[in-house]
Amino acid sequence: MLSAIWAIPAAGGLLVLAAAGRWPAKRLALAVAVCVFALSLALPWAAGPEGLSSLAQAGPLWAYGIRYSVGLDGLSLVLVWLTAFLTVVSLLSAWKQELSAGFWASFLFLEAACLGVFLVRDLFFFYIFWEAVLVPMFFIIGLWGSENRRHAAMKFFLFTFFGSVFLLLGILALVTMHHSATGLWTWDMAVLRGPSSGRAAVVVFLALVVGFGVKIPLFPLHTWLPDAHTEAPAAGSIMLAGVLLKLGVYGLLRVALPAFPEVSWSLLPWLGLIAAINMIYGALCSMAQGDLKRLVAYSSVAHLGFCVMGILSRTPEGLAGGSLQLLNHGLSTGALFLLVGCLYERGHKRGLSDFGGLFAKAPWFTFFFGVAVFASIGLPGLNGFVGEFMSLAGMARVLPILAIAGVVGVTLAAGYALPAYQAVFWADPGPGSVSAKVTELDWREKSLMWTLTLLMLWIGLFPGTLLSLLDSSLRGLLL
Amino acid sequence: MQRIPGGFAFLPWPVILLFAAPVAALLVSFFIVRPARPRWTHVPILASCAVIAACAIWILSLVLFQNWGLDLPLGGWMVAGDWLVSYGVRVDGLSASVLAMVSIVGGLIHVYASGYMAEDPGFARFFLAFHLFFLAMIGLLLSNSYIQLYLFWELVGFASYLLIGFWWQKKTARRAALQAILTNRLGDFGLFLAALILLAVFHNTRFALIFPAIVNGHYALVSLVGFLLFWAATAKSAQFPLYFWLPDAMEGPTPVSALMHAATMVTAGVFLLARSWPLISTVPVLPDLIAVVGAFTAIAAGIVACAKKDLKRILAYSTVSHLGIMVFGLGLGEVAPAVYHLITHGFFKAVLFLCAGNIAHGLHQPTADLDQVGGLRKKMPFTFVCFTVAALSLGGIWPFAGYFSKDAILDAALHRGPWAIVAGVLIGVTSALYIFRMLFLTFFGPSPRQKGGEHIHEAEPVMAVPVGFITLGTLLGGLLGHSFSTVIKSGWPVAQPIAALPEFSWSTFAVGMSAAAVGAGIAWVIAFVNPSFDWEWRTKYPALESALNSDFGWKPFVRLATAGVVALANAAGFFDHAVVDGAVEGAPRVAGAAGEQGRRLATGRINDYVWWMLAGAAVLLLAVMR
Repeated sequence: MLSAIWAIPAAGGLLVLAAAGRWPAKRLALAVAVCVFALSLALPWAAGPEGLSSLAQAGPLWAYGIRYSVGLDGLSLVLVWLTAFLTVVSLLSAWKQELSAGFWASFLFLEAACLGVFLVRDLFFFYIFWEAVLVPMFFIIGLWGSENRRHAAMKFFLFTFFGSVFLLLGILALVTMHHSATGLWTWDMAVLRGPSSGRAAVVVFLALVVGFGVKIPLFPLHTWLPDAHTEAPAAGSIMLAGVLLKLGVYGLLRVALPAFPEVSWSLLPWLGLIAAINMIYGALCSMAQGDLKRLVAYSSVAHLGFCVMGILSRTPEGLAGGSLQLLNHGLSTGALFLLVGCLYERGHKRGLSDFGGLFAKAPWFTFFFGVAVFASIGLPGLNGFVGEFMSLAGMARVLPILAIAGVVGVTLAAGYALPAYQAVFWADPGPGSVSAKVTELDWREKSLMWTLTLLMLWIGLFPGTLLSLLDSSLRGLLL
Repeated sequence: MQRIPGGFAFLPWPVILLFAAPVAALLVSFFIVRPARPRWTHVPILASCAVIAACAIWILSLVLFQNWGLDLPLGGWMVAGDWLVSYGVRVDGLSASVLAMVSIVGGLIHVYASGYMAEDPGFARFFLAFHLFFLAMIGLLLSNSYIQLYLFWELVGFASYLLIGFWWQKKTARRAALQAILTNRLGDFGLFLAALILLAVFHNTRFALIFPAIVNGHYALVSLVGFLLFWAATAKSAQFPLYFWLPDAMEGPTPVSALMHAATMVTAGVFLLARSWPLISTVPVLPDLIAVVGAFTAIAAGIVACAKKDLKRILAYSTVSHLGIMVFGLGLGEVAPAVYHLITHGFFKAVLFLCAGNIAHGLHQPTADLDQVGGLRKKMPFTFVCFTVAALSLGGIWPFAGYFSKDAILDAALHRGPWAIVAGVLIGVTSALYIFRMLFLTFFGPSPRQKGGEHIHEAEPVMAVPVGFITLGTLLGGLLGHSFSTVIKSGWPVAQPIAALPEFSWSTFAVGMSAAAVGAGIAWVIAFVNPSFDWEWRTKYPALESALNSDFGWKPFVRLATAGVVALANAAGFFDHAVVDGAVEGAPRVAGAAGEQGRRLATGRINDYVWWMLAGAAVLLLAVMR
């Protein structure tokens, strides 16, 4: 059952490619993505009363303790939902464009790889899925991106591969260390533990942090993100921000922190400092951007700082809030990229000064963009606040000074988001404005945004169900 | 999940309706009425206002006559194991009394707005945002913990952003909205951090639980919390140094100014301080600081108000000044008089704003200037009467409502010492001066420099009747002092009770009345004895005028600070592009420049890069691990 969750989109991708020219690729891709989403929603029922862990499966043992195994807990489940949902959203966001079968298939391959990362419990296969994510994204940016796409795709690939190298070596070192300590070859995430102290432990842990940190992205490993976002097509940006950035934090939660609990605890001030830099520096950089996509990309840097800060605190509220913030960021930033994509599709511009006065002709556009903006700057009642507040509340109990830095980040968020919002929707259109070309959202875009809006409101006001799902699984993992 | 005692089953229906009515009205208006009949959007909303006012009065009478109160958790909001933040409701004397004022004044302003905004193309949007704001304010007053208070506190700020920027086509309105929300956000920093600290220390932020603990124990971080809460209050309640957003926020339609900048939003900060008083009073130095900031704001804003010409701006600075009076009173430890003044101010300031709105509406302008009016008492007799009653009340003239509340604060000041006496008297003089100047120049005359509002007409009933009702409140509010003393003490969260309103004292009466008489006398001279003075001093003393126009130099300073943040952001953006990303982008070029060998390596093929990276990283890691 669990393997089917990633195998179906992979097979679907192949089918889309094979059937190119005979069947309409995008309808087929969407049908597959919807199936996967429906299946992911059914997972808790499939698990039944024994709980999510009863769905775990393992294959035969290979050499050196490698064994294909999949498992499910609250954290994986929430991220599987997010991935499956955002795949549907991003396919629909590109619906009106005439694109080859390869485009639609790439999204299914991307979905398969991401789902694989969230589901497998064996580090060997984890790494394979991890790397597999790069390939479809490389093509999405490089083939279907905007003007500067080749450079951005190359940068994305090399930069993230640079991180993967550290990740691979870190994983190999971790497995070897575990073998020399216990005499047991295993790649099982639940079993692997590194030494509790020593230089080697610190180095291996940091290698893992660099590996995951490029994806998150942590300062100063973040500069691939604005370029990749700017050049990627809107659907690609939704997946990039909504799902790919989550892989890094997931890796920290699932691999790096459980394997090195003591080392990571002793490095908390430094890692927390980096998270704080992410928040404040990301927000400041975001303020300086004149391009909507770059602005949202830097805001992602700031938002992911909250996630990292929450999970580093290792308190129940920090862990649950930080991981809920992964979902929140996926929804609100996904919505922002969706809407920026709609702007680009209509006006073929992304600059803040290229629009203006859209409120008059596109009130729904303005309304939904406002919802996404206020969710992302943490207006209580919408989803962003819950994650931010709980992350910082966790850190306030451990290292209050970092929590203060986080509150500065919260304050700065309004400083980049609202001027941009006003420039696009309220301000008078300047010379060369393409506002005249921008039309109101159609029913497809509106229904996507209504779905996202209701989800944001639901998580903002009643996050209890999701939080208890996350809390119960993270408790076993890290507390 | 942890089970929490309490819940909706224990909630009496007036409290449920206070939330259910506005939520239902907003949903019905947004989804059903607005698409079908945009001009009827206000109908469900006005019905909701009536329900709210009835419930608020009912609750107030329960508190008054039965000493009734309520503090209920209503289920978890944010939960992680035993860590819990829950929703809740708290009804006590403080919230019930302020709620009654907010719901009555707010409801009547809704009625007024249905006339004032009738011609506006954004009628439906206006009422939705207006009522959302109202809902947020009700929630703020009824919150039982700091975190829920923060929820509604932010919603109030959000709704005010929509309303101040309502006429978004105007550049000034856009700027004012942005300035308001960013300044408030700066203040919210304090409340957010205070909530985090309280949560970390007490594992809870419920007023009823943490205040007794604070009063009985000693906690190191509580002092910091006190200062942070005051910082938050300076933004919402427009105190120095964060007051500057309020006068500019007059860019919103007049009903917005009347609702947000008289009766509700700006009182939220004072309400927060009154709510937190058990905590703040334990912090050394803080009450004195609060008193000084309040007095300074009150006097400085009062002086600036004397020089303004735009009717709404005079009232805006007057609001800043009167909020200063409340904060001053709080700082002197007088919670009851401060809250009492909050309530009476809500009535008389709403009347003044709505009258100013009627004048502007009569001139068919969004706002009016002293140059354009004069002698309106004949053309707008009803507005004149209402305005006069409210102005007398604001000036602190017996027996109008403002007298009783201001007198109580003055009484505390007279018992405090020389500086407080001077401050109290100066506040009395400036208040009377600017409001009587406004009264005389608007309704009497016209002086030779004024146009006299040639084609102005009296307000139509839908805009006159609500003003009349609020004026009644201004007339009668002073008689309720005794009942108010009973109410405010009800349900106070700590054992030590707060003092009631002070008894009448002839000496306080004499000081207050003479201060008001001096102010009114100066206004008389300005308006009647030397009627061109108000126009001539501006040309004679340009330096003084520019000092007053720039709020004694604070406005340029704020602009400078804003420019500083923008410059910092641009520097960060440049640094990121040139240095952080520059290093990344430069790496292949460096490899290329490393000679023949390097050039052969820099093939531009991904495969090669990948293998070199792998090898390099492996060597690096092994070297460090050894």
